Order: sequence, then C-alpha cells, then structure tokens
Amino acid sequence: MNIRDVAQRAGVSVATVSRVLNHPDQVTPKTRERILEIMKAMDYTPNWFARGLNLNRTGVIALLIPNIMNPIYTEIAKGVEEVAHNKGYYTLLCNSEDSKEKEAAYIEMLLHRKVDGLIFIAGHLDPDLMTRIEETRLPAVMIGKIEGNWQFSAVYTDYFEGARKATAHLIENGYSGIAHITGNLRFIESAEKLNGYREALKNADIQINPKWIIGGEETIEGGYLAAKRLVRNPNPPEAIFIANDWMAFGAIDAIKTEGFRIPEDIAVVGFDNNRMSGLVEPKLTTVNLPVYKMGLTASRLLFDEMDTLSSTSESDEKADQKQQIFLPLTIKVRNSCGHQDRIKAIFGE
Amino acid sequence: MRLKMDFMGLSLKNPVMVAAGPWSRNPETIMRSLDAGASAVVTETIAMEVRQNVRPWIYSKNEGYQNVRLYSDHALEQWLIFIRQIKKEGGTVIASIMAHSPSEMAYIAKSVYKAGADAIELGLSIPHGEGVAVMGSDPDHMYNSVKRVIQSVDIPVMVKFSPHVTNISELAKVVEKAGASGISAIDTVRSIIGVDLETSKPLLATYGGYSGVPIKPIGLATVASIAQSVKIPVCGIGGISNWSDGLEYMMLGASTIQIGSAIMTLGSEVISDVIEGMDKWLEQKRLRAEGIVGKALSNLKSFDEIEILPYKAVLKDACPESSCETCVVGCLVGALEKKNGNIVYHQELCNGCGLCVSLCKDQNFELKWRL
Ligand SMILES: Cc1cc2nc3c(=O)[nH]c(=O)nc-3n(C[C@H](O)[C@H](O)[C@H](O)COP(=O)(O)O)c2cc1C
Ligand code: SF4
Ligand code: SF4
Repeated sequence: MNIRDVAQRAGVSVATVSRVLNHPDQVTPKTRERILEIMKAMDYTPNWFARGLNLNRTGVIALLIPNIMNPIYTEIAKGVEEVAHNKGYYTLLCNSEDSKEKEAAYIEMLLHRKVDGLIFIAGHLDPDLMTRIEETRLPAVMIGKIEGNWQFSAVYTDYFEGARKATAHLIENGYSGIAHITGNLRFIESAEKLNGYREALKNADIQINPKWIIGGEETIEGGYLAAKRLVRNPNPPEAIFIANDWMAFGAIDAIKTEGFRIPEDIAVVGFDNNRMSGLVEPKLTTVNLPVYKMGLTASRLLFDEMDTLSSTSESDEKADQKQQIFLPLTIKVRNSCGHQDRIKAIFGE
Repeated sequence: MRLKMDFMGLSLKNPVMVAAGPWSRNPETIMRSLDAGASAVVTETIAMEVRQNVRPWIYSKNEGYQNVRLYSDHALEQWLIFIRQIKKEGGTVIASIMAHSPSEMAYIAKSVYKAGADAIELGLSIPHGEGVAVMGSDPDHMYNSVKRVIQSVDIPVMVKFSPHVTNISELAKVVEKAGASGISAIDTVRSIIGVDLETSKPLLATYGGYSGVPIKPIGLATVASIAQSVKIPVCGIGGISNWSDGLEYMMLGASTIQIGSAIMTLGSEVISDVIEGMDKWLEQKRLRAEGIVGKALSNLKSFDEIEILPYKAVLKDACPESSCETCVVGCLVGALEKKNGNIVYHQELCNGCGLCVSLCKDQNFELKWRL
C-alpha cells in the first residue's frame, strides 16, 4: 500500500495527498480531514523524512565498496551513513574485494531484496552489472567517473589533476629525479594518476625514466616492495610520488630501512590524505582526496533521487534528477616532500 | 516607511541586516536578531561538510576581533530544517553558502532554495583555512560559481567580497555579468591580532580574519569601489557599530548594511539602536533611506579633479586644554607651538596638511584659503 492507494480510495490526485502531508495549509480543511481519515483507516504511516512517502520502502540503502581495508572507503562509508542515518535509513555495507563474482552476487542480492538505493564506486564495478542496475531503475549514485554512456548521478574528482599537482609540487621543490609507484593500473584512478605524473614532468621538460615507474599492489606491503626496488636501484630517485598513502606508509618504511632519510635523501608524496597520513614520521605530504565529503555528497544525491522517484508531482524536478558534482583536489603539504614553503603548509594552495 | 528598501527584489522594512557568523548560527539566534528589528539575517556559512572548529577561535583587542572560525557546525540537512523553521516564523533569511566547485555550490544553493531561503549569499571570501589566495578573488572561479548557482535557483543571489582582491572593480563586473543580483562587502581581513612576547606565540594559533570597528575604512572603500563599478545593489559590511556607520556605508553606495561583530560587543540591541538612530536622522533631514544611497559618491574625486588650493590652518579659539599637546606633536613642520598654555601658530610654516583639524578633539582648527 502506498500514497497512490490512499489517493485512489479518497478519489483525489496523488498530489493532493502529498499536499496534505507536506503543505496542509494548501488543502481545504474538509478535504484534509477526509484524507487523514482514510489514511488512518488504511493504516498509512508516512515516513517523516521522505517527501514522496512511498510505503514500499525498505528503509535501507547499500554501499558497495571494493576494499574494506582501505581507509578511503571507510571514510566514504562514514559520510554515506551519516546522511542516511539522519534520514532514518540503514546503510548496508558490501565489500566486493574487487571480485567479479562477489560483485555480481551482491548486486543480485541487492536488486532482489530491493534496497531503496545503491552507491557504488565507478571503475570498480563490472560494466554489465552497471547496465543491469540501470535497467532496473534502482536509484543509484556512483562515486567517480568513467567512460561510457551511464546515466547515473555522480560525485567525482580529477585524479589526473591531483597527481599532476603533487608531481609539480616536487618539481617546484627542486627535484627532477622523480619516480612514481603506481596503483593497480586496471583501475581508472591509478591510470589517471600515472598520466598526471607524466604530464607534470613533461611540462617541466623532464625526461621520463621508465625504470622509475613501477607498479605495486595497493597495500602497505606493495608500497614497501616497490620502494625497495626503486631505492636499491644503482641510480635511485630523489623523490617518489606514490599512488596512495597506504602504499606510501610501506614505502617510507622501506626507504628508512635502506638507510635513507626522508626527505633529505628521498622525498615522498602520497595520495588520499587518509587519517594516518598526518601521524606517520615524517608526516606525509599528500593529495587531499575529500572522501568523507564524497560520501556525504553521494548519499545526498541518492536521497534526492529516491525522493524524486517517489515524489508524485509532475514537477520540473524530474528533469534534473541526474546530478553530477565535482569536488576538486588540493595538496596537503606536510614534511615528507622537503618543502621550504611554510605558507603553503599553513594555507594549502 | 522612511527606512523601507528594495534590495535585489526583496522588499525590506529597513536596510539593516545581520551578517553571517556565529551570532546567526541557529533559529534562536537568528530570531533574536529579527526580533530586534533586522529586516533580514544572513546565516552562518553552510557547507557540504562540517569541519570541527578549533578552540579558541576568537580574540578581542582594541575594538577589533581576530577569528579563526571556519563555517557553521551544523550539517546541511539541519540547516534545511532551520530555514523552514525561520520561514514558518515569518523571518527573512539569506542563506550563506560555500563550496569548492561550481557544481557543489549549485547543489547547496538548490537545497537551501527549496527549503525556502529568501536569497543566497555566496561566501567564498574567508581569508583563512582556504588558501593564500582567497577563493573568491579568482574572477573565473567566481564567474563559474555564480553562473551555476543562478541557473539552479529562482531567488536573488548575492556574492560576498573579500578586501583581498587586486582589482575589485573588475571582479564586481565579472560577478554582475554572471548574473548576480547583488554584492556584499566586506568579509574579514586577513590578520594576526598580536604576539605574546613572553611565549613567542601569536595570540591565536593561525592566521585569521579581522573584524569590528577598525576595519570600517577598508569596508567603506571597498563598497564605494564596487558601487562605482556596477549597477547591481551593494550591501555594506565591516565595523558597523552605530547608526552613523550604517549611513556612511549607504552614502557610499550601499543599499543595505550588515552588522556582525558589534553584536558580540553590544548585544543584539545594537540592531535596534542602529535602526532607530537612522530613522531619527532621516526624519530630521526629511529624507528617505532610498534617497541617500550613493549620495557621497559624487564627492569622491580623482586627484586631477581636486583643485590645489592655498589652504592653511586657522585657529578658531584659544586652546581650551592646557595640558594637551596633540596638535603640536602631530604637526610635522613645526607650525604649532605651545606657549603659556596657548597655541602659537606660524602660518608661514603651515603646509595645509589638515592633520590638526582632525586631531583636535575640541575642533579648534579649520582650513581656510590664505593667499
Ligand atoms: C567570529 C566570526 C565568524 C564569522 N563567520 C562568517 C561566516 O560563517 N560566513 C561569512 O560569510 N562571514 C563570516 N564572518 C564575517 C562577517 O560576516 C563580516 O563580514 C565581518 O565580520 C565584517 O563585519 P563586522 O566588522 O561587522 O563583524 C565572521 C566573522 C566573525 C567575527
Ligand atoms: S567569551 Fe564566553 S564563550 Fe568565549 S571563552 Fe569566554 S566564557 Fe567561553
Ligand atoms: S589638539 Fe586642540 S586641544 Fe590639543 S593642544 Fe591642539 S588645539 Fe589645544
């Protein structure tokens, strides 16, 4: 039973019922009384927060993340959950471990159990599954942006620009022998970071040394191993830009155990600005990925979409149902990059 | 009636509004200002993400304040409820919002618009916590943000300016071209209010924004420059603590004004005092508020237009203060001397600078032609 049933029983439009709930002053007292009466008789209890008031709701949204061990995703989850909680919703956390099977199983489960909405990470979900979600018209929001004709609301950022800025920051600090430890290049954000690194070197007329670009697993250990390889090279780099902070922590450990000082011998810049980045020694200079805010924003977009879907008035809201919000990246200057620029450390860029 | 003002399409009962800040942090504080007579209140700035405010966040010294507060500590959803609540009580509320990209800005704008805000103020001019260059000093960024916001809402959009802008006139024109309905100025001025010599520590832990009485001249100049650059209305802010401050802003082109720090110094009574004072003055002069907007602008001259006249100081009376030597010390060319409790004036040395005229509390000097 939903708002439509109430409208049908009362012999009025759905919009009128909605008005009774949201703008009672706009309905004549007589109609209002009658509709409230019917609602009571039908045991119809609208959710306070939901404007559309669809009783078929589960009161649950899902967040599908690729790796629960990566603090980026826990912070995204914090943002998503916070908004959902304030709206009276529960958040179901699904951890796919970047496994196609797990992803598929989760998506099927979610579509069948009918959660009210889904947030997922672009580039970490099989395109076929995305198509499947799109076809079912489940309200869904993606975090990130990928090539393709997807009609999802999205909150996204510019990894290319973030990596370019991070590398350019090292160049500004006087480094030219800059290596890059990439993330898993199967993922678009890692590929974009690599391109941003290349672009910064190109802009500064610095020859790219292919030996200084090495991939790693996106874990502390992955960063550790990759950094060891770079540092043991007969011609070690002066600075390393690392695709994520988690890996950078491993790299810092490797560089220190090999007897080098950071940043005096080798400077390090990471990416993400996770909660530990300001605590490791030396404090890590990194690119601030506004993950918590991405979670908040994605969740807001999702609830907007859910509200619009069940909102009954044929208003203009339908037209702008899909929203795309861009959040820019900035560098968080700390100590690992050998900067001389205290003012940049205080103010940011 | 005298005080009525049409501002960006809002018809206001008077030109006195309350600025964004912690004195406008929730419905209770906002209603307090409205009850004191403010025609509209700007909310503390609403952002997508609530960042914890550091403590301490404010320091007061010599009538000025340095603050290192960021934005409101209430979430967007909470503000939407607040705004509805204030609207229900009949208040006029302007939502101050900030964001880091045009699309994000437009999103928050749309949310507060749907909640019923009467207008929006874009708060991109905070001088701390957001970069060495104030966000709102970049014309391209301003243009894109304003444009996106205007496309998303159907209420007036005002843009708040920082004094930290190289070419304020150019920026004002950019914002007008983007479709803004008004400009407010100024936000706080980047500051360090002092250093504790014993501990070698700045009085607050980081750079902050300066506000209160000492920033009024900066605000006046900024408002005048904006008013002389664009047709859209201007809202004057900065160091307003009494009715004459407000009228000065208006004479330099502000249609409305906002009171901020004075609420911390004087309480919300300052709002009713300013309104009453303005009303009395206008009544005496048989003027309407609308009639004085920009009246002093035509008297702002370029250097070329200021005629070089042979002014000299003239002592009006015998010096009334036997223990005072202010003008004597101040006069850089030694044209004033104090002898036996009286001022001896050497006209041949006087170069007509005018300092003694403003220095003497008893207004004992004036400038006159002396050929
Ligand atoms: C403690 C404090 C907090 C403020 N918070 C905001 C804010 O959230 N948004 C904003 O646009 N301006 C903020 N301001 C700036 C004021 O709105 C105003 O522009 C400035 O203080 C100058 O006016 P005043 O001298 O009357 O205070 C704040 C000022 C102070 C002192
Ligand atoms: S002024 Fe008031 S709020 Fe501020 S520290 Fe003192 S007692 Fe606390
Ligand atoms: S400033 Fe005025 S009162 Fe003081 S010494 Fe000069 S004239 Fe006398």
